[in-house]
Amino acid sequence: MSDLRFHWMLPKGGEVVIDGVQTPLEAARYRIESIRATSPAPRPDLRGWTHFALAAEEAGIDSVLISFSRYEPEPITVATALGLATKKLGFILATRSGLMQPTTFVQQVNTLSALIPGRVSVNVVAGSSREEQRGYGDFLEHDDRYARADEFLAICRAFWRGDAEVDFDGRYYKVEKGKLHTPFVDPQRAAPEIFISGHSEVSERLAFARGSTYLRVIDTPEKLQRTVGRVLEHDLEVCLRLCILCRDTREEAVAVAQSLLPLDDESTVGHKDDSQMYREGAKAATWLNRSLFAGLVPHYGPVWTTLLGTPAEIADALLEYKQIGVTQFILSGWPELDEVRRFGRDVLPLVREAERAVCV
Amino acid sequence: MMPKGGEGAMKTAQETSRVLTTKSTSLASLPDMEGWTRFARAAEESGIESVLLSFSRYEPDTIVVATAMGTATEKLKYIVAYRSGLMQPTTFVQQLNTMSGLIGGRFALNVVAGSSTAEQRGYGDFLEHDDRYARAEEFLAICRAFWRNGSDVNFSGEHYRIEGGHLFTPFQSPDRLMPEVYVSGHSEQAKKLAMAQGSAWLRLIDTPEKLAPVVAPMRERGREVALRCCVICRPTREEAVAAGLAMLPDTEIEKQERGILQRSDSQTLKQALAAADDVGWMNEHLWAGLVPFYGSSSITLVGSPDELAREFVRYGEIGVTQFIIAGWPKLEEMQIFGAEVLPRIRRMEASA
Repeated sequence: MSDLRFHWMLPKGGEVVIDGVQTPLEAARYRIESIRATSPAPRPDLRGWTHFALAAEEAGIDSVLISFSRYEPEPITVATALGLATKKLGFILATRSGLMQPTTFVQQVNTLSALIPGRVSVNVVAGSSREEQRGYGDFLEHDDRYARADEFLAICRAFWRGDAEVDFDGRYYKVEKGKLHTPFVDPQRAAPEIFISGHSEVSERLAFARGSTYLRVIDTPEKLQRTVGRVLEHDLEVCLRLCILCRDTREEAVAVAQSLLPLDDESTVGHKDDSQMYREGAKAATWLNRSLFAGLVPHYGPVWTTLLGTPAEIADALLEYKQIGVTQFILSGWPELDEVRRFGRDVLPLVREAERAVCV
Repeated sequence: MMPKGGEGAMKTAQETSRVLTTKSTSLASLPDMEGWTRFARAAEESGIESVLLSFSRYEPDTIVVATAMGTATEKLKYIVAYRSGLMQPTTFVQQLNTMSGLIGGRFALNVVAGSSTAEQRGYGDFLEHDDRYARAEEFLAICRAFWRNGSDVNFSGEHYRIEGGHLFTPFQSPDRLMPEVYVSGHSEQAKKLAMAQGSAWLRLIDTPEKLAPVVAPMRERGREVALRCCVICRPTREEAVAAGLAMLPDTEIEKQERGILQRSDSQTLKQALAAADDVGWMNEHLWAGLVPFYGSSSITLVGSPDELAREFVRYGEIGVTQFIIAGWPKLEEMQIFGAEVLPRIRRMEASA
């Protein structure tokens, strides 16, 4: 079995504190404020990002996920600037289908891949809020958005297969003799790795049809086992999205997690009305098992399902997921910078050591 | 004009021709950070304000390239050519606004409605010429609404519909609220679009006499006029003309033929040569002779530094304010322009 791959969430604008200390509580405060108009989150923050990216590279992180929303800078341009400022970090570019012609998307992704070979993958999202989509000129409903995403990726894949001319006549897209000269450049792959995320049945179908990796929020190994099995049968990888909170003792980690619960009814999740994942998250129990804490989910969203404990406990938990066939993780923390350093220093060596032991 | 990928190593005009650079094996399909950065630095030193990045299916994406080049330079601006109809305007503005924050707003837009129906279809766009302009007008109207407000953008047109559009990432620039928008094209629709939604009309150069009547109405409407041209500058006009002729394809054959004609004592042959050389001269310094080989944007101002400076100033007198220039090779010609022509223009402007 090959080594687990670990990715991290790219912090938002102004989130990384370069000179000074940021407590977990301050990081939480930043998150709560991040959708307000006064937040620095929408502004590109090359200095903070570069600082984080270098720390992530040093920690042994494979790629950073750059999320897409109207609240944030646009991922492809961010990856271009940040990719040229770093050496080996990869970028998982979140994109919504329906906002660009697939030919144009491929031209942009290929151009970026030629600038930073081997470091570009994509995460195709069908869109999580109807209201937000309409601001982008997209008036389709949930299931239709997935049907369109399927066509979108079919066209992208035809370009990446290297078809001399791409012809497609579907319900949402029509392309005639499509041709792009700028190739996708990667020493290992002919097409970027395609992460498909979502918890609905249609998203799973889309992943099986067009994806290379199925991305979903973490749950207990027991609950995930069947889904993972199904995904593996389709020759896809499984990548889990989670938050990590590592301290010297479990008690310390639990105390930090509980301190992050916001006051009153502050919540950043109100706007995702159209997402199956968010509806599930709102109903989750607080502790999914001894190390998996869902208490932050109702306040910050499902991706803040948190794996917590000592370095050894976290390493063991991650390896349990490897046992059931999970191969990749996308992590975040409070604050991102401290947690990625701790992960690289304390957790990752234990994971690698265990992986070596299994190999021998 | 920004050189294409690999163009820095191409030493003759012939190698840079459209015919060769649109072959799938051409280096023009790949980003060329090393060559571009060298060119960009030279452009900054030569007093060039911006470089135009052209858009086609044969080349890397212009927004990604401008972002990359913007982080590699400090002063130079990038005129990003893009076609309307390839992206939702909201997405487009989000990309441009992000880029503005990354490179200090150092870019302008050149909106092209699309010059080839076949190429557009490969991008999933099946509209015809006039409809593409109508759509471009809606596209730019929505972009401008985002740049004016940022939030609560509503639009219901024939080609686009936006409801409650809101982008949090602002356009960031030390001196503008939105990027400068060049609209290019010679058709009536293009001119109309430039007047309605552009800040400048970009077109091919022609003689000052021919341009004066079309430039004036643009200026009256508060639009700038930018001309796309090429330059061949040498110490004397004769040398410049010879340099231009050397750029014609099959130079060997042409040289031999020319030798035959010149050595002949036949008045007829001499006159034929003179006439042939006249074809394509729009006036004493404006030469269209390269157009059949290098495309319509290769109409070229040819002459000595003094002559060229005078020509540029003449365009200034009829209201033209900007030029987008190319040469062969681009780097060397730009350096000649910066060293020889531009200082003369500045002196003439100062004394005027």
